[in-house]
Amino acid sequence: MSENQPLQFKIQEEITELAASVNEIVSRFRELQNPLRESSEKVPIATEQLDKISEQTEAATHQMLDRVEKIVQQVEDSKKGLDEIKVYTKDGRTGDISALADVLIEKASVTCNDAYIIMDALQFQDITSQQMNHAASLLEDIEFRLQSIMGALKGQPDDEADGDNQQNKRDRVYDPHADLFDKRTDQSAIDDIFARKG
Amino acid sequence: MALKIMVIDDSPTVVKFVSFSLKKNGYDVITACDGMDAIEKISNLSDEVSLIITDLNMPNLDGYGLIEVLRQNQEHADTPIIILSSEDGDDDRERGMEVGASSYLVKPFKASVLITEVSKYLN
Repeated sequence: MSENQPLQFKIQEEITELAASVNEIVSRFRELQNPLRESSEKVPIATEQLDKISEQTEAATHQMLDRVEKIVQQVEDSKKGLDEIKVYTKDGRTGDISALADVLIEKASVTCNDAYIIMDALQFQDITSQQMNHAASLLEDIEFRLQSIMGALKGQPDDEADGDNQQNKRDRVYDPHADLFDKRTDQSAIDDIFARKG
Repeated sequence: MALKIMVIDDSPTVVKFVSFSLKKNGYDVITACDGMDAIEKISNLSDEVSLIITDLNMPNLDGYGLIEVLRQNQEHADTPIIILSSEDGDDDRERGMEVGASSYLVKPFKASVLITEVSKYLN
């Protein structure tokens, strides 16, 4: 046995331990790849949802503003009509009063219908709130995965990192497909499904 | 006496919108914010509920669960139930029908469509 043999064994042992450590680090990094990949896949979905909220809120607001503009015009026309009725009353022109009243009744009915259209459009609040909850849920999931990665890099056990995250997490109930447009809302088609299966 | 309709949705906006549309058409409305709340309120009511309008995605007890519970109860076995949901897939519609819904409306909806659907059962 040479004089250097104990040293060789020692070096061999050190190298074996080093190789095991490197292997462990490699497998740890492989484990980290999944949450990173999943997180990166969720970012575009969340971004798409946020863009959709912006577009749909804008569209609904424009629709409502157009209707409000019409309503204001109709109310102004009605005020003018009522002023005319006052004049006709003074002059005793009952025939003109009756004709004008018909016009004003028609205007009131159009105004009422416009108000309903605004109410229909206000449903955007429910839809965008669901879209926001969906986006928030995706972002929370990304945050959770990134925290797990940070925890793993620090050598923190998974359940400890989970606990910190769960404290801040809100229960969210939403429809991931909520959309103001792109909806199959044809009621006769829906009724057909119920009739066929019923 | 006006017919009573129960509206169940976790969105206050939808509850307000649906209630307004129904009241304008002469119906009496009671509301609940989820399936559990609906069961509690409906079991404490002395009057009959003529029709139920429910959302699907709700906390505590969702629309499917609620319909299943109601259909098992003799008193509500035949009460018309309209699902009002933003889910528009065939699977959701078919599941709704399987648990016992009478009809399905997709959000966003027009008040006139809702009233027409309600009238099918109450006129």
